[in-house]
Amino acid sequence: MTAATETDRALVDRVAKGDRAAVRLLFMRHHARVYRFVARQTGSEMMADDIANEVFLELWRQAPGFEGRSEVSTWLLGIARFKALSQLRKKKEDWIDDEAAAAVPDSADTPEVVTMKEDKAAALRRFIDALPEEHRTVIDLAYYHGQSVTEIGEVLAIPVATVKTRMFYARKKLGEALKAAGYDRGWP
Amino acid sequence: MSAAEKMSRRDEMETLLPFYLNGSLEGSDLEAVEEWLATDPAAMAALGEAEAEFSGTSAANEAIRPPADALSRLAKALDAEAGPARKPTGSSWLAQAWGRFMAVPVGVAWAAAAVLLALIAVQSLVQPGGKGKDFEIAGAQDDLAKMPFALVKFKPDAKMSDISAFLGGNGLKVIGGPTADGVFRIGIPAANAADYAKQLGIIAAQPFADTVIEGRKPVDGG
Repeated sequence: MTAATETDRALVDRVAKGDRAAVRLLFMRHHARVYRFVARQTGSEMMADDIANEVFLELWRQAPGFEGRSEVSTWLLGIARFKALSQLRKKKEDWIDDEAAAAVPDSADTPEVVTMKEDKAAALRRFIDALPEEHRTVIDLAYYHGQSVTEIGEVLAIPVATVKTRMFYARKKLGEALKAAGYDRGWP
Repeated sequence: MSAAEKMSRRDEMETLLPFYLNGSLEGSDLEAVEEWLATDPAAMAALGEAEAEFSGTSAANEAIRPPADALSRLAKALDAEAGPARKPTGSSWLAQAWGRFMAVPVGVAWAAAAVLLALIAVQSLVQPGGKGKDFEIAGAQDDLAKMPFALVKFKPDAKMSDISAFLGGNGLKVIGGPTADGVFRIGIPAANAADYAKQLGIIAAQPFADTVIEGRKPVDGG
């Protein structure tokens, strides 16, 4: 089997045996997504740089214990999520709870003013970026990382029902923000 | 009753659409979304909205560019944590360097890999059979100078490990090169022209061989 076709799990098995070339291959496959995930979580590319590298050091350390119950990508994102939260807690960041997160993103200008000169796609992207972290994360994990409801639950260590609730509110808020900006999409 | 349980059918479908789009939906959820898309006139418009979110999210993520030197820093961190990579038993520095390149596509580090290939060719001259260096160098050089050869260029994405395994398994040797554009002189231990042509065909048939050109052929009957 060539490196190009070797599965992530097979590479983790090699890492468990001390194969650093396998770490490098997994890094090349997953680093960018892990980095982006942490950058979106923390809002800091500097923090993302440190944490993303730590994730692959953890891969090196924890590979012997990897049981393959989840996809390697899900496992790595879970490690990244944990490390990002730990770092943010150290910095005493305040996290928004679900109730507060349900509020429409605030803005100095009304949505109409802000979006006057931008098209719907640009407005949508801005509203996605403005979502509360918990909501934006499920959007990122589903749309960009291709994760299932169950996998998102594993990454975030939350029940499946909570994943769905957060997705519901995230999309509802996007719809409301777009509607306020003049783009009524019929739901909510 | 949870918030999820209170959802209307439309709410539920809107919640599942991202997972329908990313292909992870299955079972009854998948059937429900497909049935909704097939029967509700508003559903296709909703799917279009979700696709726009998909594009927007991808664009927002792709706009974040990881630093280019992250891999080298990870390698240093691994060295700091676990020490330098294990040395192959009894091997030379050259063998260690070679080992590090084995899994690397040729195109990734062609120049360095080419130098290593050339160095291994030199080493094969210096230490054949572990005998006395001075004597063996002269004899081996003389033999190699007369050896039939072909000029071979490997594909940029060829794996060094594949090339090495192939050469070793077929008794082939790198006896010269690479040139500036990556052409190696590969020694072919063929006894006659037919054998030479056969081995040339085998080299050309390898997936990592880009160009194979005839070089010196053996004298027939020799």
